[in-house]
Amino acid sequence: MSVRTIARKDLADASRSKTLWVVTAVVLLSTAGITGLLAATSHMAAGEVFALAFQLAVTMLPIVALILAKGAITAERESGSLRVLLSLPPSRRDILVGKLLGRTALMLVATLVGGLATGLVVLTILGGTVGSLVTFIGFLGLMSVAFVAIGVGISAGSASDSRATAVAVGAYMILVALWNLIQSAIQYGAVELGLMAAGSEPAWIQLLGLFPPNRAANAAYRATVEGQLFGTDPFASVWLPVLVLLAWLFVPVTVGYLRFRDAQIG
Amino acid sequence: MTDSAIEMNGVTKRFGDVTAVDNVDLTVESGEIFGFLGPNGAGKSTTINVLLDFMGPTSGTASMLGLDVSDDRETLHNRIGVVPENYGLYDRLSGRRHVALAADLKDADDDPDELLDRVGLAREDANRPAGEYSTGMSQRLALAMALVGAPDLLILDEPTSGLDPNGARELRSLIREENERGVTVFFSSHILDQVEAVADRVGIMNEGKLVAVDSIDRLRQQLDAGARVTLHVDREPGRDLGDFPNVRDIDVVDGTVRGTCLEPGAKLQFIDRVRELTTVTDVHIEESSLEDLFASYTGEDARDSQSEPVVPGGVA
Repeated sequence: MSVRTIARKDLADASRSKTLWVVTAVVLLSTAGITGLLAATSHMAAGEVFALAFQLAVTMLPIVALILAKGAITAERESGSLRVLLSLPPSRRDILVGKLLGRTALMLVATLVGGLATGLVVLTILGGTVGSLVTFIGFLGLMSVAFVAIGVGISAGSASDSRATAVAVGAYMILVALWNLIQSAIQYGAVELGLMAAGSEPAWIQLLGLFPPNRAANAAYRATVEGQLFGTDPFASVWLPVLVLLAWLFVPVTVGYLRFRDAQIG
Repeated sequence: MTDSAIEMNGVTKRFGDVTAVDNVDLTVESGEIFGFLGPNGAGKSTTINVLLDFMGPTSGTASMLGLDVSDDRETLHNRIGVVPENYGLYDRLSGRRHVALAADLKDADDDPDELLDRVGLAREDANRPAGEYSTGMSQRLALAMALVGAPDLLILDEPTSGLDPNGARELRSLIREENERGVTVFFSSHILDQVEAVADRVGIMNEGKLVAVDSIDRLRQQLDAGARVTLHVDREPGRDLGDFPNVRDIDVVDGTVRGTCLEPGAKLQFIDRVRELTTVTDVHIEESSLEDLFASYTGEDARDSQSEPVVPGGVA
């Protein structure tokens, strides 16, 4: 009951933020625009354009999701409206879950609009199946929600909004912008330490490649398009990356909740 | 027997080495208006933060309406109304939407318009986003949210801050109205007049300790301050007015006769005596204020804050 009320309130409040809509529109339109350009000017097949658009989207959408989510708790904490909510019956858990649902719904709307725009551009110019569009939007949605959960978790665990922003930027840098570099560094270090042979690809290194939600979503999308729902190789199948995505959905927000539960609201 | 509205036993709150609240025992009875006084930084807000479960105490226990502030939080918060200190509103949501939110969360069927009327927020303002509100309007809205669900206990943390004198007076009459309905009111302030005007009992905090709890009259009696009576006269009588055991510091200056009366009866005796000697044109009586009282407990000299210098005898 409380959870739903808070989620509705949050949707109403956040959806009136102009900054949020401007950022979302810019990111989504640029994704759709670049994809459209690619579809119109290159000689690629629809599937290839979808794959490229997906790669583009998995680097752009996390920014939107993190910006949208990182203030969920800290902004209320700083404005003092959290004190009002906490004076009313809902518990901190209710507030956090309500906030998570509100921001998730908002992000899903943004993803759906952006995904549809991008997908329809491809379908109109190059043709393709509705099924490929559903897969495209579905995995983008799952990844977006994972980043919203990360952002809300960061917000719940941070004492101030500036700190939440810093941690959210850090999360984006590590998970999205710099992951290739980090993975190479770890791989190199492991070879140097004699933990693995050069050129080999042990399971844990492959798992490392699937670790960020954007990588996991990309892998799950590719595996679905290639029809390997339950392949013998877990790294080329859908279930392992989906499992990784589900972990991102729950773990950071749980850690954030535990910190928020014990926080002193002064 | 009904439960006390607020019951605190040995509540202590430390932040690192700093003790913000030091072993506070406090009972607020059901049905009273309790003023919680103290200078800024005395520990009032921390005490209220513990009562509202915004933070746990380092030691001690607290309950309100017979319910533990932490374990029974949800049930308790359904029955209390709060205007927290430094509260914030949702800038993009209307005033009415705020009250509706509180009603939803409390599962109450209050009419938002009726509550907004009671606190004096105009209908057209209630439809505007709260981000456009003045401090006074925000304060009225916060109060309307606190009144949702007909609470048994109102906790108001510095409720008069940001209100103009008119608003503060309206707030006081609202507090009295609620109290007549049987609501216990607990409100904090560092502004003494606000508390003096409405509270049945006061608690004074200083440096984390609760240094006094009593009715204002009783606290005043403990002080040897008396009432300062100033009589404006047609012509000054001779210096010697006779012997009054209960009037001190008799003084004749600038067309006035002054004296400090230590007990109520002495005032009339003093005035009668002066009227025998001359014509009294005006009477001014200044009771020892809560400010003096407050100063005596908190070690702050209230008179220091007055900007006007006192010149003995008056200089032309």
